[in-house]
Amino acid sequence: MSTRRDFLKDSSLLGFGATIPTFLGQSALAARTADKPGAKDTILVVVQLTGGNDGLNTVIPFTNADYYKLRPTLAIAKDKVKKLTDDIAFHPAMAELAKLYTEESAVCVVQGVGYPNPDQSHFRSMDIWHAGSTAANPTDGWLGRTLKAKPSPAFHLGANNETSPLALAGAPVRVPSVASLDDNKLKMSAASGADGAAQKNIITDLASGGGKQGESSGPGGLLDFVSRTQMNTYASSEKLAAIGKSYKPKVPYPNTALGNKLKLAAQLIDGGIGARIFYVALDGFDTHSGQGGATGAHADLLRQVSDGISAFYRDLAGHGHKDRLCVMTFSEFGRRAKENGSKGTDHGSGAPMLLVGGNVKAGIVGDHPSLTKLEDGNLVHATDFRRVYATVLERWLGVDAKAVLGGEFKPVEVFAKK
Amino acid sequence: MTDPKWAWAPYEPSDANPWDRRKVGHLYRRAGFGATVAELDAGVKDGHAKTLDRILNGGPESEDFTETSAFMASERSMPSGAPQERLSAWWLDRMLKSAHPLREKLTLFWHNHFATSNAKVKNARFMLDQYHLMQKHALGSFRELLVSMGTDSAMLVWLDTTTSTKAAPNENYARELMELFSLGIGNYTERDIREAAKAFTGYGISYGKGALNYRQHDNSEKTVFGKSGKFKGDDIAKLCLEQEACPRFIVRKLYRFLISEAHDAPPDLVNPLAEEYRKSGFDTGKLVSVMLRSNLFFAKETYRSKIKSPVEFATGIVRGLEGTAGALPLAEALEGLGQVLFAPPSVKGWDGGQAWLNAQTLLGRNNLALALTSTEDTRFGSRCDPAVALAKHNGEIVDFLLGVFLQGDVQPAACDKLLDYLKAAKSVKYPAYWSVGDVSNHRVRAVAHLVLTLPEFQLN
Repeated sequence: MSTRRDFLKDSSLLGFGATIPTFLGQSALAARTADKPGAKDTILVVVQLTGGNDGLNTVIPFTNADYYKLRPTLAIAKDKVKKLTDDIAFHPAMAELAKLYTEESAVCVVQGVGYPNPDQSHFRSMDIWHAGSTAANPTDGWLGRTLKAKPSPAFHLGANNETSPLALAGAPVRVPSVASLDDNKLKMSAASGADGAAQKNIITDLASGGGKQGESSGPGGLLDFVSRTQMNTYASSEKLAAIGKSYKPKVPYPNTALGNKLKLAAQLIDGGIGARIFYVALDGFDTHSGQGGATGAHADLLRQVSDGISAFYRDLAGHGHKDRLCVMTFSEFGRRAKENGSKGTDHGSGAPMLLVGGNVKAGIVGDHPSLTKLEDGNLVHATDFRRVYATVLERWLGVDAKAVLGGEFKPVEVFAKK
Repeated sequence: MTDPKWAWAPYEPSDANPWDRRKVGHLYRRAGFGATVAELDAGVKDGHAKTLDRILNGGPESEDFTETSAFMASERSMPSGAPQERLSAWWLDRMLKSAHPLREKLTLFWHNHFATSNAKVKNARFMLDQYHLMQKHALGSFRELLVSMGTDSAMLVWLDTTTSTKAAPNENYARELMELFSLGIGNYTERDIREAAKAFTGYGISYGKGALNYRQHDNSEKTVFGKSGKFKGDDIAKLCLEQEACPRFIVRKLYRFLISEAHDAPPDLVNPLAEEYRKSGFDTGKLVSVMLRSNLFFAKETYRSKIKSPVEFATGIVRGLEGTAGALPLAEALEGLGQVLFAPPSVKGWDGGQAWLNAQTLLGRNNLALALTSTEDTRFGSRCDPAVALAKHNGEIVDFLLGVFLQGDVQPAACDKLLDYLKAAKSVKYPAYWSVGDVSNHRVRAVAHLVLTLPEFQLN
């Protein structure tokens, strides 16, 4: 296992100098403070459920007759659900998370989360959640601002067709997107070792040269942007490959897109490079048609979420990191209470968020949204999502929430008191 | 601030802003898929007017191209269950070889606009039909394109219209029609969407084509944008086209595609073009012509104000070297760079701009450039060999490669460093079995790879 100290000893990394904001250069700073006794090194892993997850079929009010009326083909039968309390249950595909809830006390469910005047555009609503603000045309994200307030390495774990989320924009150094640690090498066709080194030198030299051209750095500073991205990439690629090699998971991960991303997060956490914020997304929740009930498309997605997060938690627990871990799920909106004619659901609003980790306060926060007092057919939110963000910022990451969110939001009791 | 009169007036070369090789390269990158040496030469020699005419009119396709492409798209070669890569490869091949690159480029614009993915549609025939619809109207009428899209089979599946019924309408298409296809957010209400969704009930696919099933259609009166009637789908599209926001929305998007993604299009620049666009009955060809011929298009602030898309990156290399590349492996490689044709990530299309580049995609670009030009990669072989291209054009290595790919416009250090590399290469110990030719070819290919990793080459 490579230790943080080994990692930072490598002078070639820091040799890029202060003018180049490589994220690893930043990690050096972050790591130094984290090494101080008593310094917190909590970790936040955001899991985004893209497309609008059907909250009503995720956290189910299974004793409510209205639920079965609204969902004639999609409702989950009482005897199939995974009970959490006398009237609230998880979808049957979420058996693993239900176990973490009952056996490990490691799951907190916040019900009915949303924001005022909910927007039902995927893209606008996602922007609002990413920005942590309902202001028009956001240009940076709540996690980007968090990283600005408290710099640390962070990672977006995404496949090649996934673009870096707005939530991470505004960070002092661009947060890298990584899909795997193996494949991260700059290749060359070199006639000899010396030739390869010469080629590599030219590539890295000319990468830094691009940004130094003053006005020819071009409209919008695009050339500078390319330069910085290249330099970050070249500085980090081989180091990351080295971290991946020695890792052994303590439990098997499901072989799914989300499982693989979370395994990668575990490698980076255990690699000890001081990263504290991770971002992953799972797409496919826009279930306008053929959503399915206890089995089917939505069930498969929920199983992926449940099995993936559960394996991640147990793996990190095995490596001694569970008390540092907080996984937080969200989706841009929930779905319409009443199902549509395509055996699916249209865009809605209020929906649950889940928090998983060794230090969350196990239980259910807030009431299930009313199924009779709907607004335009949608569940009404009771908890503003920024209250959850504020709690995570203040009580988990140790960042001034007011500065990040631009306002005061009353904390929610989602963490165990220490 | 940019004066709109000046911005959209036709460009005329001047001493301060002459017509040169850089501008030819810029035009070929934006309006097509990159230039060859011959195209750069002809562009400089013929002047701006003739070159612009040539690009805007496009050439007639050769019989060979037309027949081969049609054969590859025939039901026999591309059955409905054909794999994704075959679809994307087919289009990539057209982009590399078409005599009317601008039309393919604008088809790509519309593909990103009406972003539909075969990942859900799962029917190559439907995807090809949608391609043909977009290609037909690429430089034609947006009005016809928008109206026809409502009964396009791939779109009907993609946004669930096929399962939307009178009893329980599905809002998916109505919402994206307004939000992403014609107006943009803020120009409609949730009520407009719910009412419009009723008009799109009952559409299905019959014998492979979109058709209205009246038994499932809600024929009641709907009120959309304050107008009431027993609207059907095409009526809603026409109502959208009447909204003031519509031409502006398209002009803004085309501005980002053709002019600049360094900033949003300023309203002062959008409004006059939007007005012309509306008056012309949404004649996209005219709009594109005004943009490409304009002062603004050839202004300093427009030059290199975009990040190349993966498709532009790859086709630019192949065209520049006058090589060929297997379209299938090329399509597969582009997946690693974040762009699969006929499979955009969501109905919003590719985000583009800076989102194209991250640690992985950047390494992916470098490594694809190497695979194409090294001649050592089994996927691509030696069909795109910089040494062959150099031999044909007979120049100095560095000069030739910087010239064809970047028109020589790079950081001053680049040229020196590459020349130093060649000088130092004399002392490199090459494998004993390499011939003199092997050694010199290897140097050309190595320099080509280095040139293609320059930050400047990522820009368009």
